[in-house]
Amino acid sequence: MTASTPLLSVDNLQTQFETAEGTVRAVDGISFDVHEGETVGLVGESGAGKSVAISSILRLVESPGEIVGGEIRFQGETLLSFEEGPDGERRRSPETLSNEEFRRRIRGREIATIFQDPMESLNPVFTVGSQLQEFIEINRELPPKDARDVAIETLREVDIPKPEDRFDDYPHEFSGGMRQRVLIAMAIACQPSLILADEPTTALDVTVEGQILNMVSNLQDEYGTSFVWVTHDLAVVADICDRVNVMYLGQMAEQANVHDLFDDTKHPYTEALLNSVPRPDKTVESLTPIEGVMPEAIDPPAGCRFHPRCPDAREVCREINPDARNVSDTGRPHNAACVKHDAFDVDYEHSAPIKSEDDEFGEDLQVTEGSR
Amino acid sequence: MSHLRYTIKRLLQAIPVLIGISSITFFLINAMPGSPVEVMLGPTASEELIAAAEERYGFDQPIHVRYVKYILAAMGGDLGRSIHYGVPVTTKIMERLPVTLLLLASSFAFAISVAIPLGIVSARRRNQPVDHGSRVVSLIGVSTPNFWIGLLLIIVFGYHLQVLPSNGLVMPLTPISEVEGATSRLDVLVQTAKSLIMPTIALGTLQMAAVSRIERSSMLEVLGRDYIKLARAFGVKESVITRKHAFRNAQLPVVTIIGLQLTSALGGAVLTETVFNINGMGRLIIQAVRTQDYALIMGTTLFFGVMFVIGTLVTDLTYAYLDPRVTYEGED
Amino acid sequence: MAAETEAADGEEYESRVGASYTLSRLLQDTSARISLFLIAIISAGALFAFVDAEFLDYRLAETYLYHPLRNNVGARPLLPPVGLSNQFGEGVMAHPLGTDTRGRDIAVRLLYGSRIAIQIALVSTTIGVVVGTTVGAVSGYYGGWVDDVLMRFVEILYSIPFLVLVIAFMAAFGRELIYAMIGVSIISIPIFARLIRSEVLSIREETYVEAAQAAGVKDRNILLRHVIPNSFAPVVVQTTLQMGTNILIVAGLSFLGFGAQPPTPSWGQMLSIARNYMLPAPWFSVWPGLAILVTVMAFNILGDGLRDTLDPRLEN
Repeated sequence: MTASTPLLSVDNLQTQFETAEGTVRAVDGISFDVHEGETVGLVGESGAGKSVAISSILRLVESPGEIVGGEIRFQGETLLSFEEGPDGERRRSPETLSNEEFRRRIRGREIATIFQDPMESLNPVFTVGSQLQEFIEINRELPPKDARDVAIETLREVDIPKPEDRFDDYPHEFSGGMRQRVLIAMAIACQPSLILADEPTTALDVTVEGQILNMVSNLQDEYGTSFVWVTHDLAVVADICDRVNVMYLGQMAEQANVHDLFDDTKHPYTEALLNSVPRPDKTVESLTPIEGVMPEAIDPPAGCRFHPRCPDAREVCREINPDARNVSDTGRPHNAACVKHDAFDVDYEHSAPIKSEDDEFGEDLQVTEGSR
Repeated sequence: MSHLRYTIKRLLQAIPVLIGISSITFFLINAMPGSPVEVMLGPTASEELIAAAEERYGFDQPIHVRYVKYILAAMGGDLGRSIHYGVPVTTKIMERLPVTLLLLASSFAFAISVAIPLGIVSARRRNQPVDHGSRVVSLIGVSTPNFWIGLLLIIVFGYHLQVLPSNGLVMPLTPISEVEGATSRLDVLVQTAKSLIMPTIALGTLQMAAVSRIERSSMLEVLGRDYIKLARAFGVKESVITRKHAFRNAQLPVVTIIGLQLTSALGGAVLTETVFNINGMGRLIIQAVRTQDYALIMGTTLFFGVMFVIGTLVTDLTYAYLDPRVTYEGED
Repeated sequence: MAAETEAADGEEYESRVGASYTLSRLLQDTSARISLFLIAIISAGALFAFVDAEFLDYRLAETYLYHPLRNNVGARPLLPPVGLSNQFGEGVMAHPLGTDTRGRDIAVRLLYGSRIAIQIALVSTTIGVVVGTTVGAVSGYYGGWVDDVLMRFVEILYSIPFLVLVIAFMAAFGRELIYAMIGVSIISIPIFARLIRSEVLSIREETYVEAAQAAGVKDRNILLRHVIPNSFAPVVVQTTLQMGTNILIVAGLSFLGFGAQPPTPSWGQMLSIARNYMLPAPWFSVWPGLAILVTVMAFNILGDGLRDTLDPRLEN
C-alpha cells in the first residue's frame, strides 16, 4: 500500500441518536484518514462525539443510535457507504460489508479496540486468561492450546508479571492499571492492522498512564500497528500522536500534524484547549479556562458551533457553520473550520465582534475577560 | 477450598435462625387459649383426667421450663408427639415431606425452564411482539392466585376433558400394588407424571412469571455492559454472547429472586396441596391447626422454616459458584 | 414536551420526587392510567360496600341490589350467568353473573367482597410500611447491636413462609379477619425493614447527612428530615406491589378458611365454596378469581409504572 492510500479513511461520517427529546447528531459529518504505522489523535472535550465516532467505525453503535451517512474505507475495501434508495431515503449501499462479514473479518482481526474503562470492560465471571484466549482463538484461528500460549506470551509483553499464574485469575484480582494492560493485550494479541484506543488511560493515575504510553509506543515500534488514539488530554497527544484531529460538538475543528497543531494553531478552539492545559513553561495563573460549557449536541448553536464560547467570534460566525478546509501556509496539509482564515471568503474582517452580553455563562466570562 | 469454607460459614449462620424460628412458633402456639389436652379430651373430660394428661405431656410445668425442654429436644431431633395422630411429629413430617419436596422441585423446574428462555427471548427482541406477549403473560402470572389456577385446571382438564387426575399425587416409589391400575414401575411413574402436571403449573406459574420478569431486565442490563461491547468488538458471535458472555452474569439477580420466591412457593404449596388434595406438609399444617395439634403445628412450621433456610443456602451457594467475587469478599 | 426535556436532564433529578410531578409523569403511561382507573373503581365499590355494611345494615344493597348475606327469596341457586344454561335453569338479566348455592347474586357478593380486599391492601400494608420503615431506619442508622438484634429478628420472621406464619399466628389467636390483617401486617414488616435499611445504609454515607451530623442536628431529626424522605421512591413502589401481594395472601387464607367468616363474603372464601360445585357450576369458580386477578394486576401495573417514573435507573 502506498502512502497515498490511507489504511483507514473516514468520510463525512454521521451518527445520530433518536431520543424522546429529539435527534442528537453526536457525530455530524467528520472525515479523517489514518495511514499505515501512524498514530492519529482524536481530541475533544467529553461529549464531542469521539467515542461515538470510534463505535461507529466498529459498528458498535447501539439503539437508539444509528449511523445515517458517510463512507468508511479500510485497506481499499468499502466497509460502509450509503446510497439513495428508490424512495429517496438513504440506505446502506450494496458495497457495504454485511454485518456477518464485518464481524468475522474486521472486528478484532483487522481493527481491534481498547476500551476506556478497564474496570467495566472485562467480564467479571470469567478468568482474564480465558477471555484473552477466546479472542485469540476467534481472530487468529488457533487451537485452544496454542491460543493459550499466545495469550500468556502477550500478557508477558504488556508487562504483567508471572503471566502463567495470573492467567487463571479473575478480573477483580487485578488492579486498574493491570486490567488496562490486559485490554491492550487483547488488542495486540489479535495482530490487527489498526487499533482504536478510546481514552485507554483516562481512568488511570498519571504514573501508570506514563508506563502504559511508553509500552504502547514500544509495541507500536515493534509491530507497526496504526492507532487512533482518542483522548481529551493534549499532553498525551503531544507524547504519542503523529497527526491530530480536534473535534467539537460532533464536527472537526482542526486537523494537522502534531507539530503544526501545537506551534501554528489555526482554530480558536484548539488554541483555547492549549491555553487551558498546564505546561512547564507556564505558571498556573496564566492558564486560561475555556469559557462556558460545551452545548448539548441535541441543540447545537446556529452558525459556527464554537461561536458562543469563541473569543474571536464575529457576527458572521452566527450564520456560517464552516467545514474543515485546508488553510495551510506551509504546504503541509492543515485543516481548520474557522472563517477567520482567507480560505473562507466570508468577509470576516468587516464583521462586527459579538458582544457576549447574551451569554448565560456570566461568571466564567469575568474570569476570562481579564486574561484576554 | 474457599467454596467449602463459605458453605460451612453459611451453615453455621443458619443455626441461630432455626433456633429463632422454633422460639417464635413455641411462644406463638403457647399463646393459644386453653391447653391442648383439654381439646384432645373434649369438653366432657373430668378435672382429674385433664390434670393427669397434662402431667403426662408436661403441660403442668411453667412455660420457660417447657421452652428450654422443647428447644433442647428439638436440637436432638425430637419435636414431641402429635396428639391427633398419636405418633412422633418427626415421623409424620418425614412421611409428608417428600411429597412437598417433589411438588416444589417439579414446579421450580417448570418455572425456571420456561422463564429463562422466555426472559432471554424477551430481552433480545425487546419491544417486539414476542416481548410484549411474554411481558403480559408474566404480569398475569404474578397477579393470579395459584389456587385459582388450580381450580381452573381441574375444571378444564380434570372434569371436562378428563385427561388428568385432579386428586392426590402418586409418589414415584409407591409400591406398585397400592397404585390403582398399575402393573409395573413404569405405570407408577406415568401416573406420578400425570398427577404432577396440574399442581406443578398451579404452583409454578407465579415463580415462572417472577423469574421471567427478572431474567428479561437482568439480561437487558447485562447486554448493555462494556464487556459485552468488548466481546462484540472482538468479533464474538451474537449467539455466543447471549449463551456465554451475558448468560452467567444475567443469572446472578435471577438466582437471588429464586431464593426470594421460596417463601411464596412454600406458602403456595399449602394452597396447592389443598386444592388437589395432596397429602404433603401444607395439608398437614392445616390439619394440625384444625385439630389444634400443638406439637404438630410447631413441628411443621419449623420444617417450613428449615426448607426455606436450606433453599436460601442453596441459592447463595449457586450465586457464589456463578460469581467468583462472592467467596473472596465473604472471607475478609 | 418541556416536561420531558426537564426529566431527561440529570440535574433535574431532585424535582422527580414531587408528588404532583410524579403523578403527571405517571399519567403519561397508558397502562398506569388504566390501572389507576381500575383501582379507583374497585375502591369506590369497596367504600360503598363498607358504608352500607357498617352503618346502614345493608339497606342500600337491599333497596337497589340484593342482600349479599341473606338467601334471596324467589331466586334459584346456582343459576348460570346470562346467556348460559345448566340443569338449574337459564341465566337471567337480574343476576348477570349467576347465583351462588343459596341463590344469592354473585355480582353483589363480589362487590361486597371487594371491601375485604381493599381493606387488607390499605390497613395491613400501611401498618407494615410504618412499622417496617421505623425498624429498618433505626436499624440502618444506628448500626451496632441495635442493628444486629433487629435484623436477626427480621431475618427469622422472614424465614417462615408468609402464609405458614400467618396460619400459625391465626391458629394461636383466632380465625377472624382482624387476625388475618394483623398477621399480614406482621409479614409485611420484614420486607420494608430490609428495604429501608439498605437505603439508609447508602444514604447515611451521603455528604448532606454527614453535614447535618456535623452541624449537631439530632439523630431523630436527621432520620425524619433527610434519611426517610430520600428513601421515598423505593418505598412507594414496594408499597404498591405489596398491596397486591397482601390481597393474594389474604385471598389464600380465606380460601383455607382463615379470614372473613361466612356469611360475610370475601373473594377467597367464595372460591372455597365454589370449589365444591366445579362440575355443575364452573363459572362460580371463575368470577371471584377474576376479581382477585384484576385487582392484584392493577396494583402490580401501578407499581411498575411508579418504578419507571420514580426510579429512572431501573427503567427497562
